[in-house]
Amino acid sequence: MESTKKYWKGLEEVNNTPEFAEHSKNEFAEPIPVEELLEGSGLNSVAPRRDFLKAMGFGLGAVSLAACNVAPVQKSIPYLIKPEEVTPGIPNYYSSSYKGGSILVKTREGRPIKIEGNPSCLINQGGLNGQAQAAVLDLYDISKLKGPLKGGAEYSWDDVDTYVKRQLSKVQASGKVIALVSSTVNSPSTKAVIAEFSSQYPATKQVTVDAVSYSGIIKANEANFGKAVLPQYRFDKASVIVSFGADFLGTWISPTQFTKQYVSNRSMASLNQKKMSRHIQFETGLSMTGTNADSRIAIKPSEEGAAILSLYAELTGTAVNGASLSNNNPASAAIKLTAKELLAAKGSALVISGSNSIATQSVVNAINSFLGSYGTTIDLDNPSYQFAGKDEDLTMLLADMKAGRVGAVLFLDANPVYNHPSAKDFAEALKKVDLTVSFADRADETASLCNVIAPNHNFLEAWGDENAIEGYYTLVQPTINPIYNTRQAELSLLVWANYPNQDYYAFVRSNWEKSVLGLTGKKWDDVLQAGFVALPAKAAGTYSFNGAIDANEVLKQGKALAKDIELHIYESVAVGSGAQANNPLLQEMPDPVSKVTWDNYAAINPKFAESLGIRQFDIVTVKTDKYSVDLPVIHQPGQAQGTVSVAVGYGRTKAGKVGDGVGQNVYPFITYNQGTANFVSTVTVSNTGRRDELALTQTHQTIEGRNIIREATFAEYKKDPAHGSGNNDEKHPTYDLWGKYDQPGHNWVMAIDLNACTGCGACIVACNTENNVPVVGKDEVRRRREMHWIRIDRYYTFQEDGKNLTEEHEIVDMQGSMENVSVVHQPMMCQHCEHAPCETVCPVLATVHSNEGLNHMAYNRCVGTRYCANNCPYKVRRFNWFNYWNDSRFDNYLNNEFTQLVLNPDVTTRSRGVMEKCSMCIQRIQAGKLEAKMDKRVLADGDVKVACQQTCPANAIVFGDANDPNSEVSKALKNERTYYVLEELNVQPGVGYMTKITNTGSQEA
Amino acid sequence: MSSHNESILREPLITGKDITYRRITDEVLRPVENKANKAWWIGFIVSALGACLWVFAVSYTFWNGIGAWGLNKTVGWAWDITGFVWWVGIGHAGTLISAVLLLFRQNWRNSINRSAEAMTIFAVICAATYVVSHMGRPWLAYWPLPLPNQFGSLWVNFNSPLVWDVFAISTYFTVSLVFWYVGLLPDIASIRDRATGTTRRIYSILSFGWTGSVKSWQRFETVCLILAGIATPLVLSVHTIVSMDFATSLIPGWHTTIFPPYFVAGAIFSGFAMVQTLLLVTRKVLGLENYITMFHIESMNKIIVLTGSIVGVAYLSEFFIAWYSGVEYEQYTFISRFIGPYWWAGCMMYGCNVLMPQLLWFKKIRTNIAISWCLSIVVNIGMWFERFVIIVNSLHRDYLPSSWAMFYPTWIDISVFIGSIGLFFTLFLLFIRVLPSVAMAEVRLLVKTSSEQAKKKLIEEGKVKKEEADYYVDSLSAYDSVEQADYVKL
Repeated sequence: MESTKKYWKGLEEVNNTPEFAEHSKNEFAEPIPVEELLEGSGLNSVAPRRDFLKAMGFGLGAVSLAACNVAPVQKSIPYLIKPEEVTPGIPNYYSSSYKGGSILVKTREGRPIKIEGNPSCLINQGGLNGQAQAAVLDLYDISKLKGPLKGGAEYSWDDVDTYVKRQLSKVQASGKVIALVSSTVNSPSTKAVIAEFSSQYPATKQVTVDAVSYSGIIKANEANFGKAVLPQYRFDKASVIVSFGADFLGTWISPTQFTKQYVSNRSMASLNQKKMSRHIQFETGLSMTGTNADSRIAIKPSEEGAAILSLYAELTGTAVNGASLSNNNPASAAIKLTAKELLAAKGSALVISGSNSIATQSVVNAINSFLGSYGTTIDLDNPSYQFAGKDEDLTMLLADMKAGRVGAVLFLDANPVYNHPSAKDFAEALKKVDLTVSFADRADETASLCNVIAPNHNFLEAWGDENAIEGYYTLVQPTINPIYNTRQAELSLLVWANYPNQDYYAFVRSNWEKSVLGLTGKKWDDVLQAGFVALPAKAAGTYSFNGAIDANEVLKQGKALAKDIELHIYESVAVGSGAQANNPLLQEMPDPVSKVTWDNYAAINPKFAESLGIRQFDIVTVKTDKYSVDLPVIHQPGQAQGTVSVAVGYGRTKAGKVGDGVGQNVYPFITYNQGTANFVSTVTVSNTGRRDELALTQTHQTIEGRNIIREATFAEYKKDPAHGSGNNDEKHPTYDLWGKYDQPGHNWVMAIDLNACTGCGACIVACNTENNVPVVGKDEVRRRREMHWIRIDRYYTFQEDGKNLTEEHEIVDMQGSMENVSVVHQPMMCQHCEHAPCETVCPVLATVHSNEGLNHMAYNRCVGTRYCANNCPYKVRRFNWFNYWNDSRFDNYLNNEFTQLVLNPDVTTRSRGVMEKCSMCIQRIQAGKLEAKMDKRVLADGDVKVACQQTCPANAIVFGDANDPNSEVSKALKNERTYYVLEELNVQPGVGYMTKITNTGSQEA
Repeated sequence: MSSHNESILREPLITGKDITYRRITDEVLRPVENKANKAWWIGFIVSALGACLWVFAVSYTFWNGIGAWGLNKTVGWAWDITGFVWWVGIGHAGTLISAVLLLFRQNWRNSINRSAEAMTIFAVICAATYVVSHMGRPWLAYWPLPLPNQFGSLWVNFNSPLVWDVFAISTYFTVSLVFWYVGLLPDIASIRDRATGTTRRIYSILSFGWTGSVKSWQRFETVCLILAGIATPLVLSVHTIVSMDFATSLIPGWHTTIFPPYFVAGAIFSGFAMVQTLLLVTRKVLGLENYITMFHIESMNKIIVLTGSIVGVAYLSEFFIAWYSGVEYEQYTFISRFIGPYWWAGCMMYGCNVLMPQLLWFKKIRTNIAISWCLSIVVNIGMWFERFVIIVNSLHRDYLPSSWAMFYPTWIDISVFIGSIGLFFTLFLLFIRVLPSVAMAEVRLLVKTSSEQAKKKLIEEGKVKKEEADYYVDSLSAYDSVEQADYVKL
């Protein structure tokens, strides 16, 4: 074809007329009346319609183009050089150590996001309590210091070092004491550092003091057996356990360890062998341990000594003067029965007391010695180093400070201005000291009074080691670079001691190579990976009591209390001694017994409160001649008459944004006897007339006679394992509207052993951190809006005249003392019903069933009608009433940029107006399946552990695949004790519960 | 309608002397064609303030989240769905009057159907606002609609009663609106014909070119009948479906098969009470005593006592079934209506809905305007409490006692509810200023046959038997709009 061929449009073009030439210069044949249009006259012209359409078309097009602007882009920066060990999306686990127990720290892209127990840990055996679970959040605490302070102003480390060194030398030269005040130090490396420091500054004196002290036991052991140690208790070897006020499952010494041991004699495995321990608890306030006891007897603090003495008298047959419980007949009878049972269990009996009185603990030692417990249930040869504080040391230091004999005080993990009974005196005396240094990570009560704050690393940023029990050494390794300009306290000490090697990692390593590694022959890297070294335990020897019982002293201490109202001071399971008071997860974790969050309170027996004219939530003044606090009252069934219980750990004033002003500080109520701090006092209680509603997560306390809790006694169980479970009854025929779907792959279910669950609430915190559950604060909890995906329902049953009362109207009419109460804890989460009532009612299919038996929640699809939550018979669905992740009212909890670094990136945070609930940790199921797929193998039972199950110190939760007949959960669900809550509704829940068994011991036989 | 003489035994549907077609138009259109009086302005300002409160409270909720309300993990619905069901129920009287009574040729409906239908529409609007505002994410309110979408194969859940609700309410609103508007056409044309200027142009458009030809009237009547036929099942279906929100769930106190008829009866009950509340005031303020007569008031009272008693029987059956079922959860829920923490709400419900309306068995009370008005308010309060008891009392203590909780409303909850009443009255007051509150065309039909003057003429002409005339005159004695003196001499 010829390419030059021309086509013309008309004759004008061929002829190229002048008009055509003129027109061809213009793009448009006719002029477009833009000007005219814009000037307005165009609109009035004869034919504006076309122009109008043109303008419209242009306008619409322009607007559409303008609207095509993309949403603001948030750039995420990829690794320029990818660290070898970090793969985005794949977590790394590092072994470390927390409070002496080996842990695994899960990190994602360099951030620690979860702490899990190390299954091979000798102490915790993979379990962790709520405080340990919450500890990861302490790393991301916005209230921490960003660098060293001197006189309240920011300083460089060099300046701080120069100043401190100069001052220390001055003090050393002046002959005054350099006091290093710390809580228990069991770290071999820290001890070595302190030794180095002391050799540089020989005036150094170490003062060890624990907020909640066990020096009574240590002193008594020193006096009676010549060993100033805390023994290791072996609840797993005890068939009869008698505890006088020791909350060993909740707070006493090593609760996670004790729970593991205790439950090993009470769980499904033990019951299958027809074995169960018997646990008798004598106590004042209803503790978590008391709620798990087979028999619980309420006694006043003043009666405790007499009770222990009369048990001793009853056991040994020796008469002890004045050891009678004449005012408490039930207790007196119980002591006789207890003695009988203990004698029958000689060699496998264990008696403990929560008292910190040396005289009382000596009597306990005598009883245990008589029962042959040493060498069996008590091990003095492999002692515990978890607590080594000596109360009188700080008392002496205080006297020295007042007298001006102290030139420098260094505080390491110690906060006496908050938690010492004479805190006010202490703060005054501190002014007389020239150099005061705190290693606290925040300007806490003590640190804020110090000249220098040299903030320590968080344990997740630090190297270190611990030796919590004899022969068991754990390593602390950092899992993130120090976030702020902080420095390891040990390194600060080394720097100030002019130690040549200023690298604490090298120090720890060489220290280990010198000592522990030498003993085992293991290599550093292997130990670092394993997290710990366990030397073979020594044989536990038998010890016989070698001392005197000072019955008069015991009785004198009791008598001193027996006036007014007796105050019992305890440690709460959630907040503990108060060191973690700024942790919102712990503040919002309900107390296992009272279900109170965000506060401490005065627990008073309802009947006693009635006699004083005090209603629940009235604010009362609890007063001694020296100190008084105003606290809201809770009516606590099981509390001994004439007593009030209050928890320490609250009332912090400089903990941070979360913990400040929560509750009241009751440390100043602590009294001293024989130099040890006693957590009892006598007070007067008067109503202020004001009221304050406590934030409770459960407001109805009993089961109303419903069969949601099923129970049996151990004797009944032995005759018929299905007793009380309802499995012996004929089942009602059921009919289904829906067809049955195949579940070819997995069928995820859960089994919960009510007899193992102690109610500690570790699962709640574990679930919170795993699933990014928001913290909502006191006000919202008060409106019954806490977001916990798993809760522990706690039900009371009152005993009166041999009848069990659970119905509201019966309880209102009760005449008795409300001291005899039995308690059941029932963990409750989404039951993943096969016929889920929530699924049918959702208008938008936001909650649907998976073919693996899970009830899914598609957050993005949810429009928030809340119909599903209304229709859930278990009331486990939680609604996002506000935008908890972007609402300034919740800034102090988790909703700030820094704290949000703790979030699990595998779980989305839910926006406002969306329903959420337990997903059975679907992200873990997916990860487990993926891993199995990559390894080209079948997912094995136990590969996937849900967060609550993993942390449970009692192993009460079993999760797994019901399609696998050999899985642990399938076996558990086939157990005769297994029943389903509300099974009569035929919603076919996926979570089975095993009956609660009570070992009533000889009472029954 | 035919122009034969109606039996003298029937009470007149229009009273007054010298009633002409023109006078009816004059009187009905007085508020439309004249400036508003003081009473209207006071009412309007108060209502508009209420509507502003509603706007504020709902905006506050949208801004902050549903947390602004008093709901909690246990009680997920409270004042919101109580208000929703209450408003939907109120709407039912309008449909019943306009559709069912038309099919049954109850001519007395002609005077009240217009206001009742308007009330229906405004009540459904109020209810619909709750549907949107109670959502956690109201900006996604279109998701429960089965719209084609780009979310993949995502569809609504046809199992969910909330989806049925969406259909029921939208159908109901559409049909009611069309029915109401079709009925308005001849009356709008009347306004048009009398108006001038812009008003005339507006009403001209609104009248859809109504000519008043015989063909128009014929078609008008046919359309009305057809729409009545369509609307009649809605009287039963809408509240049946609303009741299924509860009946198909498994919460004790909700899971009840008697709910559909029980709710429908309750809806008509509360709807008539609301019509009564509104019309007793309207007739006085707008001077419509001749068109809304004692006969209407008494008839409505009779319906109220009938439906109230049906509701009472439903309440009794609920208690019987709770006892007879042997289900402890069910039994507890029903007993707790009297002995639980919400016993006072239970007492309000049973007292206001069952006991108080029984007074209407007495003719003296039925024909006493003040007492009738008070009772209509009592019934409205009682029906609000019925829904509150069903929703909150059932939810707050269901299966697991650990989750039992109380519901306390916040000021936002209260403001949304009071505001919705303000919104309702704002709309209603605007309505009576711009549209005829009585169906003029239909009332005109009654002048020749059922009016007092026509009947009086019959008596005066001696065309009726003496005893029948006496009976008739006797029945007029309760009418406040009849000049009793005129009959003394007869």
